[in-house]
Amino acid sequence: MYFDVNGKQAFATTGGKPFDNKKPAVIFLQGSGLDHTFWGLHSRFFAFRNYAVLVPDFPGHSNSEGPALTSIEAIADWLAKVVETLAVDNISVVAHSQGCLNALEFVSRYPGKVRSVSFIASGLATPVNPGLIDAAENKPESAIAMMLSWGFGHAGHFHQGPIPGNSMIAGGRKIMGGNPDGLASDLKACDAYRNGKAAAAGITVPHQVILAGTDRMAPRKAGMALVGALANPELHIIQESGHMVPIEAPNECRLLLKNFIFANNPAS
Amino acid sequence: MGFSTRQIHAGVTPDPLTGSILTPIYQTTTYVQPSVDEYLSKGYSYSRSGNPTVRALELKLADLEGGVDCICFGTGMAAIQGVMLAFLNAGDHAIISDVAYGGTYRLCTKVLSRFGIEFTFADGSDPDAVAAAVRDNTKLFLTETPANPTMKCSDIAAISKIAKKAGAIHVVDNTFLTPYFQLPLTLGADLSIHSTTKYMDGHNATVGGAVISATQEHSDAVAFIQNSTGSIMSPQVAWLTSQGCKTLSLRMDAQSAIAMTLAKHLETHPKVEQVCYPGLESFAQHELASRQASGYGAMFWFEVKGGLAAGKKLMDNIDVFSLAENLGSLESLITHPVTMTHADVEEAERKRVGIIDGLVRVSVGLEDVEDLIDALDKALEQV
Amino acid sequence: MHSTRRSNRSEAMSHFYHFDTLALHAGQTVDGEFGARATPIYQTTSYVFPDTDTASSIFNLERGGHAYSRITNPTVAVLEQRIAALEGGSAAVCTASGMAATFVAITAILGQGDHIIASTQMYGGNISLMKNTLPRFGITTTFVDPTDVDAFAGAIQDNTRLIYGELIGNPGLDILDLDGIVAISDEHHIPFMVDATFNTPYLCKCFDYGVNITIHSITKWMGGHGLAIGGVVVDGGNFDWGATDKYPTITEPYAPFSGLNIWEEFGPSAFATRIRAEAMRDFGATMSPMTAFLLLQGLETLSLRMDKHLSNTKELLDYLSNHDSVSWVSHPDLPSHSSHKLAKKYLPKGAGSIVSFGVKGGRDAGKAFIENVSLASHLANVGDAKTLIIHPATTTHSRIDAEALVAAGITEDMVRLSVGLEDVKDIKADFEDGFRAAKKIAKA
Repeated sequence: MYFDVNGKQAFATTGGKPFDNKKPAVIFLQGSGLDHTFWGLHSRFFAFRNYAVLVPDFPGHSNSEGPALTSIEAIADWLAKVVETLAVDNISVVAHSQGCLNALEFVSRYPGKVRSVSFIASGLATPVNPGLIDAAENKPESAIAMMLSWGFGHAGHFHQGPIPGNSMIAGGRKIMGGNPDGLASDLKACDAYRNGKAAAAGITVPHQVILAGTDRMAPRKAGMALVGALANPELHIIQESGHMVPIEAPNECRLLLKNFIFANNPAS
Repeated sequence: MGFSTRQIHAGVTPDPLTGSILTPIYQTTTYVQPSVDEYLSKGYSYSRSGNPTVRALELKLADLEGGVDCICFGTGMAAIQGVMLAFLNAGDHAIISDVAYGGTYRLCTKVLSRFGIEFTFADGSDPDAVAAAVRDNTKLFLTETPANPTMKCSDIAAISKIAKKAGAIHVVDNTFLTPYFQLPLTLGADLSIHSTTKYMDGHNATVGGAVISATQEHSDAVAFIQNSTGSIMSPQVAWLTSQGCKTLSLRMDAQSAIAMTLAKHLETHPKVEQVCYPGLESFAQHELASRQASGYGAMFWFEVKGGLAAGKKLMDNIDVFSLAENLGSLESLITHPVTMTHADVEEAERKRVGIIDGLVRVSVGLEDVEDLIDALDKALEQV
Repeated sequence: MHSTRRSNRSEAMSHFYHFDTLALHAGQTVDGEFGARATPIYQTTSYVFPDTDTASSIFNLERGGHAYSRITNPTVAVLEQRIAALEGGSAAVCTASGMAATFVAITAILGQGDHIIASTQMYGGNISLMKNTLPRFGITTTFVDPTDVDAFAGAIQDNTRLIYGELIGNPGLDILDLDGIVAISDEHHIPFMVDATFNTPYLCKCFDYGVNITIHSITKWMGGHGLAIGGVVVDGGNFDWGATDKYPTITEPYAPFSGLNIWEEFGPSAFATRIRAEAMRDFGATMSPMTAFLLLQGLETLSLRMDKHLSNTKELLDYLSNHDSVSWVSHPDLPSHSSHKLAKKYLPKGAGSIVSFGVKGGRDAGKAFIENVSLASHLANVGDAKTLIIHPATTTHSRIDAEALVAAGITEDMVRLSVGLEDVKDIKADFEDGFRAAKKIAKA
């Protein structure tokens, strides 16, 4: 679905059902350099269970017009515009990795219509290795290789995955490779973000945190810092997964999201 | 639950990973252990000691026979050998029914005898004769009933009592009737053994054996021998046999009904001297066969007038029936025991137990009964 | 999306498993119940669902999972993911044969009125499919010389939807100029599909050069033992199906799945998903679990076998090139071959183990050679562990006249050899018997 935000064309997938803003909504926010296809194993599930699903490509990523936004705060503002444009009420936010920083900032600043937020595989901040930012700017394929190498756990590296015949890590490579420019600006925005702790304290809606047992991008210590800064988090740890939880352990992840969202933002 | 339900579902649980309705074929040698401390926590270490596909068949067969456990073997002979080695030592004595499969006879007289185990072949149809054969060192009774190929029946309950009194275990080879028709363990036997090659598989696809025990202690003793001597069933064979078992009752009903029709037909045929089938009123032990089993099976023999030469001529000319060893399959088979399955039994012993030269053994399959009668009639015409 | 071509090289600061490790481990999740080290053979038709919600979500492609073995099977999936890993593709679909792979790949995106550009140097089954069968359904093909990149560009029509060739052509062994053809396919937004059976991913990973789809007859080198028939389609995940409206089967809503937009929801595996959702479901050219298990065993030793195929081929090229009964030898690794430069570029380890050569004395001498070798098996397959040999003029192409043979690149004295893994000394000794017999005919 294409729509205009601030006079620029934006794209979001709606999970295979027409977007109906009268229904409770689930908005999915993906990590650095990724696009809407990252959430394919979750968006369709909620769309077929009476939710209005929105998986936007961030500006400058895949189908959404550029330029890419350069700070977490700017992305939060942009999300507020998306919500306003589409006139959505009763929102559940589901965020992964950098998407969690976007969510912290968005939900703490625009709490009005949010009913729940799910943080997957993230801490309060995402300091980025300067070598990685440099690679993203000058040699994106090398940066993508690093992120895939660290992002996937054991199973991912052996091309396992829940969709018969599909290599999750190869799919991730293709998605990430689609946004070499967006990747660099995303990583810089992550690195610059400092407001995580304050934003977490400002979250008053029900929230859950899903961490991965073998996450090398957002290690346990970082994840627990997020848990510590939140008021009353429901914490889950999926042991057999690396950082890319939504595609490495989609069935476990989907079940946790389902139970949490069905309870806190029920659809008819 | 009824037999037909259990022959399909016993031992099988849907695979937890994928939901696969059938047990997967675990064609694997070894099993990855979660940690040193959790060694064997999932039950398997090496496929000689155990394999999940073979285990599924074992649990099914244990359930069908009314036993507590089952150990599957690479062949029926391996099953018999496993039982013998589990319960007999040098200096021990075993009593075997005097008509038994030729391979059993050979194992006892030519192989186990070399290890100091003594055997007496006693007439299982006469409990007094069996009791008279008991010695101080008798540790095992093996009864094959109905016996291959004479169809002589032995009283399982009576011999079980004799065995118990002698402090020995009673093993019944239940291959011919299967647990669908005959349950030796409920009649007092300690172990029931099978060539699963026969009716359990039913499709001439595999070679295998099984030992079902009434107590865990006996089964563990058999398992220990198997793990030590290595005569295991392969996962592929176990899987195919599990599929065959699902239609066991259907096949036994259909094949034994055809056998009855053929036996009655041959009994009135002018060129046939005699027909031996436990289901016939003329069968000498018809009362016993009816008492201890709920069906008569699909094996019988007959003698063509004119003896060996006439029998050979019939077998060489018959259509539909295959001249082949094995029994219990969907294909009807015809065999000449004297030259084929029981060639290893000495002539005097054969004569003594009733394996006459003109005996033609028939394993009735599942072809149309009209075609089988037609084939027999045409072959008899040429005799 | 941008093309991600050549992003597969391993980089500093990142680690990915290498070819041989993937050939042994990729795609297999050690089963959680018992820990079986080998891949279980899931010889089952169907799968018990824990609840109706799981069932409906699998049927509606909301999540992965198995419903019925015509569409997916856990044992076949291991083979699929392993091949995807070795090729560097995003997804793979195994099929009952290599021909089925070609057919489902074409029909996933082409329909009535569409057009293919294909190399003339292809397996006869492929040629026949495009020349005789697909036209019955309104799909036409222009065949072009694989060595002439301009011919591919020149054949493009408004309705062209696929460019297709074999990397190592059959029977001339000419090599496709991947870079040249990719430039054309990129410019015109047409996917480029390569039959990579003769090279396997061990000799060339076509996706590294921007090829979009590969197919294999796994029957051949991938399986390697000549014991099971099977094929695979691998989705490179690198074609932008949404850039034009030429591929409605991928980009338009698909009615059987509640208007599923495959491109939007499956992105890099959209093509494979279309094959799975349509071809496996409706055509049913499914690989059996037992076949997948057997082919997995072969795949585990792919690099070992390919290295030996290549070293034996190299020795036989030397032997044949210097043999006085041989009139000519053709293989891309020989400097005399017209594709020698392309072979060095795209197939640096070696250009496969198919060799053709001429026996001095023509048709009858060629026939005598074949009839007097005994180690080499006389049959029409290739890529077996055993050395195979055939005389096209008296067998596969016996019904066409001398002139047509020339057009097909086949000469009357030509012997085609699929070099096996035997001790090369024994292959040479065997050939000596054949050459002695051929010499007698040549002299007579």
